[in-house]
Amino acid sequence: MTTPSAVPALEITGLEKSYGTARVLRGIDLTAHAGDVVSIIGASGSGKSTFLRCINMLTTPSKGSIRVAGELIKTRKTPAGLEAADRHQLQRIRSELGMVFQDFALWSHLTVLENVIEGPLRVLGLRRAEAVDRAEDLLAKVGLAEKRNSYPAHLSGGQQQRAAIARALAMEPKALLFDEPTSALDPELVGEVLRVMQLLAEEGRTMIVVTHEMQFARNVSSKVFFFHQGLVEEEGAPEEVFGHPKSDRCRQFLSVH
Amino acid sequence: MFNLDGFGPLLLQGTLVTLQLSLASLAIGLVLGLLGATMKLSRFRLLRALAGTYTAVIRGVPELIVILFIYYGGVILLNNLAHGLGYKGYIDVSGFSAGVIALSLTFGAYATEIFRGGIAAVPGNQIEAARAIGMAQTTIFRRILLPQVWRFALPGLGNVFLVIIKETALVSVIGLDELMRKTDIAVGYTKKPFTFYLFAACIYMVITAITMQMQRQLERRANRGVAGRAGA
Repeated sequence: MTTPSAVPALEITGLEKSYGTARVLRGIDLTAHAGDVVSIIGASGSGKSTFLRCINMLTTPSKGSIRVAGELIKTRKTPAGLEAADRHQLQRIRSELGMVFQDFALWSHLTVLENVIEGPLRVLGLRRAEAVDRAEDLLAKVGLAEKRNSYPAHLSGGQQQRAAIARALAMEPKALLFDEPTSALDPELVGEVLRVMQLLAEEGRTMIVVTHEMQFARNVSSKVFFFHQGLVEEEGAPEEVFGHPKSDRCRQFLSVH
Repeated sequence: MFNLDGFGPLLLQGTLVTLQLSLASLAIGLVLGLLGATMKLSRFRLLRALAGTYTAVIRGVPELIVILFIYYGGVILLNNLAHGLGYKGYIDVSGFSAGVIALSLTFGAYATEIFRGGIAAVPGNQIEAARAIGMAQTTIFRRILLPQVWRFALPGLGNVFLVIIKETALVSVIGLDELMRKTDIAVGYTKKPFTFYLFAACIYMVITAITMQMQRQLERRANRGVAGRAGA
């Protein structure tokens, strides 16, 4: 494990998001140090995915601040909420945050290998040979070496998600954001994706994982956040949150999951 | 099979002009279409309104009027503009450039709608994944959007191009020596309308048949990796 440094890998304070009068996030603070694996659990509609998407501004928050490795994402206020004030800074910070989506979102016109090298080539400016080397190592790691020349449409959901993880890793991100990475998978394919994620956690990568997989949250994460109606209802080490939940809502949620 | 009464070389020249006119209009029209589609999808109301007016006018006015308007109106406009800037001479607009402008504008208007549909058909999560990786807007357009827009747009673009190839015949009214006008000349001399119009029809058929074949090849290429997946 990487030793936690003084500067948190991610530091989010006072994050709020409203759609019209609906307040989806009502002031969320979350800090993750290098090597932390933070699981965010909660019922659908509790705001956990919205929160994750606000971290790299795919969804623009209404209020709050986001720091990645100490660097504040510059924003300015508009009537609709916050928007990035410095496009280039945002693009660079996004490139430092790998994101894995529920529905994989691989680029369907590119092969697995092309998907993985696209970011390093077009965003980081790596030379092709270097990007391919990196991609091949990563594809081997997620168990997709032999699928490098396949197109996404010809892969199973589990394979697509592992390819998407390799694509995120190829950017050598400071932290990884997982948005319900196994929710769109057939039950028998969930395990292969979770195994890859566990491997990444063991490598000491910083991960924020929105998930419904309680086993994973309990066994792999270093911190668990329980969201309820746009607020952090409970947070702590997994053994505390799962073993001795303090809030009634959290207890109730865990009893049915 | 055809007795061309020595008009063969003339008709061949006309065919070449028709081809040049079609291809030039295709090239410029594609650019106009992409531009129009981006404008229609823009955040700025003015750009959306401009593109909307453009497609509404071009698609609403007969092609023949567009050609005549650009040929005659364009000359007047250009000369007034040049005189206003202090130019003393007279600027002539060739039939070829007027034809290319008119047909490009037409192709561009239809292509705008086709590209707009194609852009909308690319799954939004793929655009989001590109943004999440830190890709610049222009890179996303070029690397993620465009290659997939082709896939959705090719059938429609092919169709409109076939129409444009045939509409090149309309440009004969402003005296451009393309296939149709050369055919008229041949008919005038030989008094054999059936022979020459049938021959011209065959030439157009051959050009469009080759175009359709090329379109099929392009579609096969564009569908690499996704063929066989319904709706993908």
